[in-house]
Amino acid sequence: MERMFPPKKPSTMNSHDRPMCVQGDSGLVLTTDPKPRLRWTVELHERFVDAVTQLGGPDKATPKTIMRVMGVKGLTLYHLKSHLQKFRLGKQPHKEFNDHSIKDGMRASALELQRNTASSSAMIGRNMNDNSHMVDAIRMQIEVQRRLHEQLEVQKHLQLRIEAQGKYMQSILEKAYQTLAGENMASAATNLKGTMVPHQGIPDMGVIKEFGPPLGFSSFQDLDNIYGGDQIDLQQNMEKPPIDHGFMPMNESLCLGKKRNNPYSGSGKSPLIWSDDLRLQDLGGPASSCLGPQDDPFKGDQIQIAPPGSLDRATSTDMDPMSEIYDSKPVLQGEGVVGEKKFDASMKLERPSPRRAPLQAERMSPMISTGTMAQGRGSPFG
Amino acid sequence: MEIDMDMDAIDFSGYSTITNTTPSSDYDYGWNHWSPLVNWDAFTGTHDDFHHIVDSIIAQDHTPSPDYAGSNSLTEEEEEEEDAAATAAAEDDDDAKGLRLVHLLMAAAEALTKSRDLARVILVRLKELVSHAPHASNMERLAAYFTDALQGLLEGAGGAHNKHNHNHNHNHPCGPHHQNDTLAAFQLLQDMSPYVKFAHFTANQAILEAVTHERRVHIVDYDIMEGVQWASLMQAFASGPPGPHLRITALSRTGTGRRSIASVQETGRRLTAFAASLGQPFSFHQCRLDPDEAFRASSLKLVRGEALVFNCMLNLPHLGYRAPESVSSFLSGAKALKARLVTVAEEGEEEEVGPSVGGFVGRFMNSLHHYSAVFDSLEAGFPMQSRARALVECVFMGPRIAGSLGRIYRTMGEDDQRGSWGDWLAAAGFTRVSISFANHCQSKLLLGLFNDGYRVQELETNKLVLHWKSKRMLSASLWATSPHSQ
Repeated sequence: MERMFPPKKPSTMNSHDRPMCVQGDSGLVLTTDPKPRLRWTVELHERFVDAVTQLGGPDKATPKTIMRVMGVKGLTLYHLKSHLQKFRLGKQPHKEFNDHSIKDGMRASALELQRNTASSSAMIGRNMNDNSHMVDAIRMQIEVQRRLHEQLEVQKHLQLRIEAQGKYMQSILEKAYQTLAGENMASAATNLKGTMVPHQGIPDMGVIKEFGPPLGFSSFQDLDNIYGGDQIDLQQNMEKPPIDHGFMPMNESLCLGKKRNNPYSGSGKSPLIWSDDLRLQDLGGPASSCLGPQDDPFKGDQIQIAPPGSLDRATSTDMDPMSEIYDSKPVLQGEGVVGEKKFDASMKLERPSPRRAPLQAERMSPMISTGTMAQGRGSPFG
Repeated sequence: MEIDMDMDAIDFSGYSTITNTTPSSDYDYGWNHWSPLVNWDAFTGTHDDFHHIVDSIIAQDHTPSPDYAGSNSLTEEEEEEEDAAATAAAEDDDDAKGLRLVHLLMAAAEALTKSRDLARVILVRLKELVSHAPHASNMERLAAYFTDALQGLLEGAGGAHNKHNHNHNHNHPCGPHHQNDTLAAFQLLQDMSPYVKFAHFTANQAILEAVTHERRVHIVDYDIMEGVQWASLMQAFASGPPGPHLRITALSRTGTGRRSIASVQETGRRLTAFAASLGQPFSFHQCRLDPDEAFRASSLKLVRGEALVFNCMLNLPHLGYRAPESVSSFLSGAKALKARLVTVAEEGEEEEVGPSVGGFVGRFMNSLHHYSAVFDSLEAGFPMQSRARALVECVFMGPRIAGSLGRIYRTMGEDDQRGSWGDWLAAAGFTRVSISFANHCQSKLLLGLFNDGYRVQELETNKLVLHWKSKRMLSASLWATSPHSQ
C-alpha cells in the first residue's frame, strides 16, 4: 500500500487543493490526506457486497471475515469496519461514492473516470436498488411516526387515567373523613356542653388535633405534611367538616383561605412527580416533619388570619404563630392538658395528638426517641 | 443507638472484623445487584453453614446448656458490637447488620421447625436488633415484620389463625388500624409505587381494546375493594365517542371489613356517582360468593348481547390473600360463561436462580427475598417520606408477611407448589390475547413516572411483567375463552 503525505497540513488546505487520489498497487484508491481515506470505488464496493452476501448478510459478516473473503491487499480492518457500519445502517455507501465523483470528478484521475464510466450501468442498477431502499426507509419512517403518534396518544390517555383515578381516590378520602368527622362532631358536641368552646387562640389545626377523629386521623395529617399540602388536598378536606357542621364559627374565616388547586384536576402537573422542594421539606429536619403543619407555608397564612377575637382570648401560654406553640414543648403540654380536660370525657373519641401518645409519637415523629436523628441521617437516604 | 451516633463521627473505611462473614462466592446472579441492604450473595450459598450460625449465636449467648430460655448474658456481645461499630464505617456496618439479620431470621425459621425453645431465644435476640420505626434501616424494618410473624407462629402453636398476629405485640407501633389509615396508606402506596396502577391500567387498556364497538359491557370483578380501577376505565369510555353501557358486578364475601357486602355496596354507590359525574351510563351489581368463597356462575345475572369481561386482580400490595380454590372457581366461571376477556394480575413467578431450597426455610427465604424487594422499591419511591412508607408497611406489608408465613408454616412449605395462574389458564384451555403496542407503551410510560428501578417486560405475547431491579414483582396477562374473540 502506498501512502503519500502532502506537504501541507490539512488545516491549511482549502477545498481547492484537496489531495489527489492515488491508486495503490492493489488497485485501491486512497486520498493523499495525512489520514488516507479509502475511496470505495464501484468495483471495490461490489466485491464488498459480494463478500457480505457470501458471508450471510450484513449482520452476520464481520470486518475480519469480509477482509478474508475479499482478499484485497491493502484493505484494512479499519476501512472495512466503517464501510460495513454504513452498509448496515443502509446509508447507501455508493451514494457517497457518487458525491465523491461529482465533487472530485474534475480532479479524479483519468483512470478513475474511466472506471466510473465503465460502471455506469452498474450504477443505474444500483440506483434502482436505492429506490427500493428508499421506499423501505420511507415506510419505516411512516411506521416510526405512527408509533410516535400512538405513543403520544397513549401518554395523553395515561395522564387522563391517572387523573381520573386520583380524583376518584380523593373522593373516597374526602367521604371517609367527612363520615369520621361527622361522627366525632355528633358525639363531641354533647361532651362540649357547658365547657368552653376551644377558640381561645387555638388555631384551627390545634382544635382539630385536640378532638380530632379518634383513629386514623394522624395519618391524614401526616399525609398532608408529607405532601406538603401541595399534592393532595387532604388538609382542606379535613377542615371542611367543621365548617359544614357550623361547629366552629371562629374558624370559618381560617378555613376559607385560598383554595389550593387540586393537583389532579388539570394543573397539568402529574401527581406522581415530586418537586424537589417537597422532598427538601421532609429533609428539612425531623423536627419540622414531626410537628406537622407549621412548616407548611399555607398553614402559616391560615393561622395569621385568625380573627382578632381569638387573640384577645389568648392566654399567656398562647401565641399566635403556630410554630411557637409547637416548638416549645411545655406550652404544648399545657395545651394538651387543657384539651384533655375538655375532651377526655369521651375517652373512646379521644385520640391523643401525636405529641401526647408515646406509641403514636414513636411512629410519627423521629424526635421523640432520642438519638434517632443521627441515625436517620446515617441512613443512605437520610 | 449511641452506636450509630458514634458511627457518624467516625469515618473509617475499614471492615468490621466480627460481623463480616461474607464468603467469597462464585455465584454471580443478576439479582445480586438489586438490593443495597443485603449482600444476598453471601447467603445464597451458605445454607450449609447454617448450623455454624446457630452455634455461634448460642456461643455468643454463653448458654452452653440446652436450656436456652434463660439467656441473659448478652453483655459481652454488646461490647463486641460496640467494638465492631467503632471500627466499621457506617455502610459496612449496615451491610453486616443486614446480613446478620438475615442469618438470624433464617436460623429462627429453621429453629421454629425443630426446637421452639431455640426459636424463642433467637427471636429475643432479633427483637433487640430490629425496629419498626420509620427511621430504621430497610432491613431492620423488614426483619421486624418477619420477626413479628415468626413470633406469631411461635405463640400461635401451629398457627391456626395467624392473620393478625402482629397485633399481639403491644409494643408494636401500628396496632389495629382504622379504615382511614388503610385508605391513606392505599393512596400513598399508589403514589410511591406503580404496582397498583400497572395492574389496573394494563387490564383496563385491554378491556377497552376488547370491547370497541360493543354497546353493552359487563365486567365481573373478583376483588373490587374501593373500585379505584374503574374510575380510569369510565373516564376512557366517557372521553371518546359515545361509549358502551357499563355494568360492573362485584363479588362480595360474607363477613366484615373491606370486602364485606356493606363495603362493596358503598363502592357501588361511589362508582355510580362517579359515572354520573362523567355522564357514563353505568349500573352496579353484587354477586355473593358462597361461604367458602367459591364462585357459582349461575349466580351471575347476565344480559343478552353484552360483552363479558372477568377481571381478576391478585396479589397487589393492598389486596389480601385469596384461596386458590376461590380464584380457580372464579376463572372456571369465566370459562363456563365464555367471557370475552379475562384480565389477570398476579405476583411474578419466582425465577429459580439459586439452589432452590424447599420446605419451610426455603419458602421463608423466598418470602424474605420477595418482601425485601418490595421494601426496597417502596423506599426508592419515597426516599424521604419515611413515615409515609412506614404507614404503608404497617398497614399492608405487615399483615401480608404474617399471612404468607402463616400459610407456609401450616403446610410446611409443601402446599401451593402450583405454577402461576397464567399456567393454570393455559392448561384450562384459555387462549392468549396479545398485549397491544399501546398497552405495552402505556406501562412503559407509567413506569417512567416512577423510579428508574422499575422495568416492564413482555414475557409472553399476552403477558407484561413488572420488574423491580431484576426481580419479577407483578405480571398482568390477558386471556380469552374462545379463539374467535381475539
